[in-house]
Amino acid sequence: MAAWLGRRLAYALLTFFGITVAVFFLIRAVPGDPVTYHLMQSGRGLSAPPEVIEQIRRTHRLDRPVTVQYAYWLADLARLDLGRSFVDRRPVRDRILEKLPNTLLLNGAALLLALMLALPAGIFGAARPGHWFDRASGVIFLLLYSLPAFWVALLLMDLLSVRLGWFPLLGATSGNYSDLSGFEKLGDRLWHMVLPVATLAYGQFAFFARFTRSSMREVMGAEYLTAARARGVGERRLILSHALRNALIPMVTVLGVSVPVLLSGSVIVETLFAWDGLGRMYYMAVLARDYPVVMGMTVLTALATLAAYLITDALYPVVDPRVRVGGERS
Amino acid sequence: MNRPARQGSRLPYALLTSLALILILLQVSGCRREQSVPAPTETTASSVPQDGGTLVRRLEADINTLNMALIGTGPEREVMSLLHDPLIEVNERLELIPGIAERWEISEDKRSYIFYLNPLATFSDGTPVRASDVVYTIRTIADPATESAQLSSYFVGLDPLRTRAIDEFTVEVGFDRARASQLAAFNIGILPEHFYSKGDFGEDFNDTVLGSGPYVLTKRDPGQQIILERRKDYWRTTPHIQRVIFRIIPDDAVAWNAAKRGDIDETKMTSDQWQLERNRPEVTSTIDIRRFYSLDYNFIAWNNRRPLLADPRVRTALSMCLDRAAIINNVYFGTARIITGPFTPDQNAYDPDIPPIEFRPEDAARILASLGWRDTDRDGVLDKDGKPLAIEVLLSAGNKTSNLQAQIFQDALAKIGVRLDLVRVDGATMISRALEGDYDATFLAWGLDLDPDPYSYFHSSQFPPNGMNIVYYSNPEADRLMEQAREELDPAARIALYHQLHGVLAADQPYTWTVQPSIKWAVNKRIQGLRESNGLGLFLWYPGQYEWWIPETMRKHDAPAPEGSPQ
Repeated sequence: MAAWLGRRLAYALLTFFGITVAVFFLIRAVPGDPVTYHLMQSGRGLSAPPEVIEQIRRTHRLDRPVTVQYAYWLADLARLDLGRSFVDRRPVRDRILEKLPNTLLLNGAALLLALMLALPAGIFGAARPGHWFDRASGVIFLLLYSLPAFWVALLLMDLLSVRLGWFPLLGATSGNYSDLSGFEKLGDRLWHMVLPVATLAYGQFAFFARFTRSSMREVMGAEYLTAARARGVGERRLILSHALRNALIPMVTVLGVSVPVLLSGSVIVETLFAWDGLGRMYYMAVLARDYPVVMGMTVLTALATLAAYLITDALYPVVDPRVRVGGERS
Repeated sequence: MNRPARQGSRLPYALLTSLALILILLQVSGCRREQSVPAPTETTASSVPQDGGTLVRRLEADINTLNMALIGTGPEREVMSLLHDPLIEVNERLELIPGIAERWEISEDKRSYIFYLNPLATFSDGTPVRASDVVYTIRTIADPATESAQLSSYFVGLDPLRTRAIDEFTVEVGFDRARASQLAAFNIGILPEHFYSKGDFGEDFNDTVLGSGPYVLTKRDPGQQIILERRKDYWRTTPHIQRVIFRIIPDDAVAWNAAKRGDIDETKMTSDQWQLERNRPEVTSTIDIRRFYSLDYNFIAWNNRRPLLADPRVRTALSMCLDRAAIINNVYFGTARIITGPFTPDQNAYDPDIPPIEFRPEDAARILASLGWRDTDRDGVLDKDGKPLAIEVLLSAGNKTSNLQAQIFQDALAKIGVRLDLVRVDGATMISRALEGDYDATFLAWGLDLDPDPYSYFHSSQFPPNGMNIVYYSNPEADRLMEQAREELDPAARIALYHQLHGVLAADQPYTWTVQPSIKWAVNKRIQGLRESNGLGLFLWYPGQYEWWIPETMRKHDAPAPEGSPQ
């Protein structure tokens, strides 16, 4: 196990550096220049005197060769310093930490909600194939999965916020949030989360429900279940403990892939609901060629992905006793 | 086995029911929420402005800094304008009027400016605005080490030795050359030296601010809102509105919904929103829609260095194929106007007597034929010396209006055998290719300064990276006119020079000037005292927003004022 972990960690580290090198050089190879883009944002043209532009380039080391820039970046990373944003001059680490809780809260709640609804829906569909519910849900899940999020968000806003006034249109809290009591604060936050969480969750719900159903169906045909049924195991126990446990094995992989998404955020939902999260920050940083922020988010998502894969692999023996880590014979 | 089945079915049932409910509700389009605030009528609103109340404005993006010398974006200018009073104000007719400086003199050699500061002017910490603060601010902005990318361009040629405090409230600012445009550059806020000189200027003042404006910052929630409160001890006429909240709403559709709900009091509207919504009763009962022109124009830039596009006759022929009437009607729903040159019709530098280039594709075809362009290989595209008349146009992928205009243009040109290839790229790519001259043509817009000087866009010394002559236009006569005009301090003589220049540029067509779209702005009807400026809109001129007021009966968003704040 220790040898396996050591080897996996070494691979993960190599992969991590591979990713940083690739993104560092690729983002600089893309046409577009961070300094001129930022200066042109005002629409007033690039009127800054050349010596000011040169000074800005020097400050951000953009006048040095790319390899030298990468060496500086690595040295800073070793000190846990992700550099400063070209756009607002603030440390990238502070910007990420400031928005991380918002993104985690929104995406975590959506994932949790989607799973809580999807598992029962998928199991029920699998237990009663051909039942009207199973057939209807097949169509509905496909429909939900294909609805574009921006359209659903605008529809939810128009209906539940503009017309009916049940939920706030945007933001994470009300304007008078700081004047509320502790309990009211919680309520205010939850109230603001309903629409963005619903927008994020419906697609994931449809995906997980379909996934659970098909995975369950696959297992339900297995001989060991027929044997169990012949032994007189009740249908409920058969599904919930015999079949579900095996059906959940592939779910571990899928969930592992979902973890990095929790951190990288969602551009559409964050933009529409004016939710100050990492997704929009990342997107704007790519548009503005804000290299330090792009690299900071790369570090964050790469680490999260690698950690999730590592944990997923380590979890396999737990959910599936046939799997042994480290390649020893079972 | 019954129980789990039922448990399993309960949730999906609920889901299906709520889905059905949503579908039903969507059918009931008449079901609309009434506004919580009564629609104001002539009788409820008294005509005497009342002080107090909270105004909720929309910001399209969060600000990156609160340091006035480092700002660059529109939202930053909007927020800063309430926190810092400028040395010189501008009014709704784009005229320069006293601000912190109650009067000024320009020296005989036109190279030095003497400002007499209003001794009543104070920063929000109570200290007076002194001549030394003006010197500090201007020297800081002009110093390349400050990296003041936007403002430093206004102080090129500053003579630091002749920029000095004459006495406590008199300041001289000297330059190494005379510039007619220089005075408008003093429409900038003043930084208190005692505050900004302590610490690292680039890093320590992005989250904190001290200014002389009528409002002070009370709260900033990154990505969410910025709250300003009116100063108790403001040194000149106090604005009526007590608190201004800037809510950050990036998306236009969402901002319009927020305006309809009354969550925000003002937002810019898109042309599509204006066309679809302006006559709906639930909109007209609560929202006042204003239209005006701002200091900007749209154009097609022709890379004059490309052999195909080097001849002004070819560029003129291309301009003749731009159906501006179709663009105004189909893209802007009639809310745009034709412009013929490098100024906007609201600037007196613009010569209204210069006729626009008419939409005459047949004449364009004749001009091209006279220049030797024929379709010899019968492929539908004109050619000369074996080269087809094909032009690649760079478009910003997200910009709907320029994409529509380009398609209208493409269709018209195809009919006379000119091929327009539309290439869509992202904003940063477009800017760097434009600055590197790596393009044939592109759709762009300029936001103009208060002063009309177009030197940086058209003088032959201003090819990138020296300036913004991204089309590599070069005409000795235009050069001479621009050189004369920027040193001509007599306004009438300067206008005459710009009218001549306008004629030269209209004949040469380094750009095809397309149209100037009007700006549509929604303001909640509870706001009184609204006036707009053609050129500057609702904000960024004096008194502008400071005249706005909210009748007591229509107050909302008013949180209890913090301890000790002025009432």
